[in-house]
Amino acid sequence: MRVLLFLGGALLLVGVAWALLVAPIELFQGAPQRIMYVHVPSVITAYVALLVVFVGSVLYLSRRDPRWDRLARSAAELGVLFVSITLLSGAIWGRAVWGAWWTWDARLTTTLVLWFIYVGYLMVRAWAPGVRGASAAAVIGIVGVLDIPVIHWSARILRTLHPQPTVFRVEGPALPAGMLIPLLVNLAAFLVFFSALLLLRIGQERTLDALSEALEEDA
Amino acid sequence: MKAVRLLVGKDLLLEWRGREIVSVMGLLALLLAIVLGATRSGADAAPSAMWVTYAFGATLGFARTFVIERDHLAGLLLAPLDRGLIFLTKALANWLGLVVVQVLSLPLLGALFTEAIWRHLPALALPLLLGGIGLAAVGTLLGALVVQARLREALLPILMLPVVLPLVIAAVGATAGILEGLPLRAVGSELRLLLAFDIIFVTASFLLFEYVVEE
Repeated sequence: MRVLLFLGGALLLVGVAWALLVAPIELFQGAPQRIMYVHVPSVITAYVALLVVFVGSVLYLSRRDPRWDRLARSAAELGVLFVSITLLSGAIWGRAVWGAWWTWDARLTTTLVLWFIYVGYLMVRAWAPGVRGASAAAVIGIVGVLDIPVIHWSARILRTLHPQPTVFRVEGPALPAGMLIPLLVNLAAFLVFFSALLLLRIGQERTLDALSEALEEDA
Repeated sequence: MKAVRLLVGKDLLLEWRGREIVSVMGLLALLLAIVLGATRSGADAAPSAMWVTYAFGATLGFARTFVIERDHLAGLLLAPLDRGLIFLTKALANWLGLVVVQVLSLPLLGALFTEAIWRHLPALALPLLLGGIGLAAVGTLLGALVVQARLREALLPILMLPVVLPLVIAAVGATAGILEGLPLRAVGSELRLLLAFDIIFVTASFLLFEYVVEE
């Protein structure tokens, strides 16, 4: 865990420095385009986190092992964090380049709705501690992921400003290497950092569970 | 089958005697329609006013259905039925309540916003029914969840509205198209989305309900 934390931190330093100092300036957007090096890695990390919540929730409901619940719980917190970074960095980038903080595009809408669903997840956790909240939260973790395709579909009925994917497409990345490499470095940094924080949170939750169990035995 | 009929009958009888859910949901729906109509009463405001009204009415009414059962949920769970079927009986009763509210709201919505609502009633029935099913499925699952986890009822709208947002977007789109006099085919993608939402969430709730109600 500590190794991952240092590795993530080091990659993040390299990635941010590269993105700010070395990467070429985009012709039309100018400097604000550098927000991409935060925005794209954070959204990918956020969706990875929500996928972890989903897998943890399904396994918790089927196996009833508190370890899966701790995984889902920890990933949900980080998911909300990275979704927030995505929304904020996206709004700032959008204001600079489109002239609008927000647009009702499919991906923006999906991400915003997911923010609300997983904040709801965290509220359930906060207000219903223990096993009572664990099953309830697991159900929300599953419903949230099932909602992703329909939210995306519904928001396509609305119009869009957001560019189409440039990195993950069947034809291969459309980004020049000067931008792609720092982007991938930042993506790696975000994912490593996410894994480190996830392990850290799981460890804390394990301690917390052990502590409350010990307290119950005492009482 | 008999058990299903009895359980649905029990909920409907309770509701008929007390009229608690439909009256609360119905009054809230009428009030919302009036508040929204007072601020903006053009014909283009009608579809969103209609669906905001139903979605809010549903969040308020559906929390009640399990509060009624809170003290004797064990009795309900002892019914000789699969937990998924118990969910279906509850969702069916909730849906019927919502349909009553929808029917009651249509004269007022037509009077406040546009008479096109009355003229296109047969075509409108499709989004009304499909949207109502999705609201009832998600609302019944999350309503049970909120009550079972002993959370405040205020949490239900916070959990439910984001999940049903795609349903509301599609239902508003379909309603708007129909009110403009477009043929049903023109709102086909919205109706397909409503149908897909219903299938996904009725199935998911059917499967997940047993984890929500277990002690």
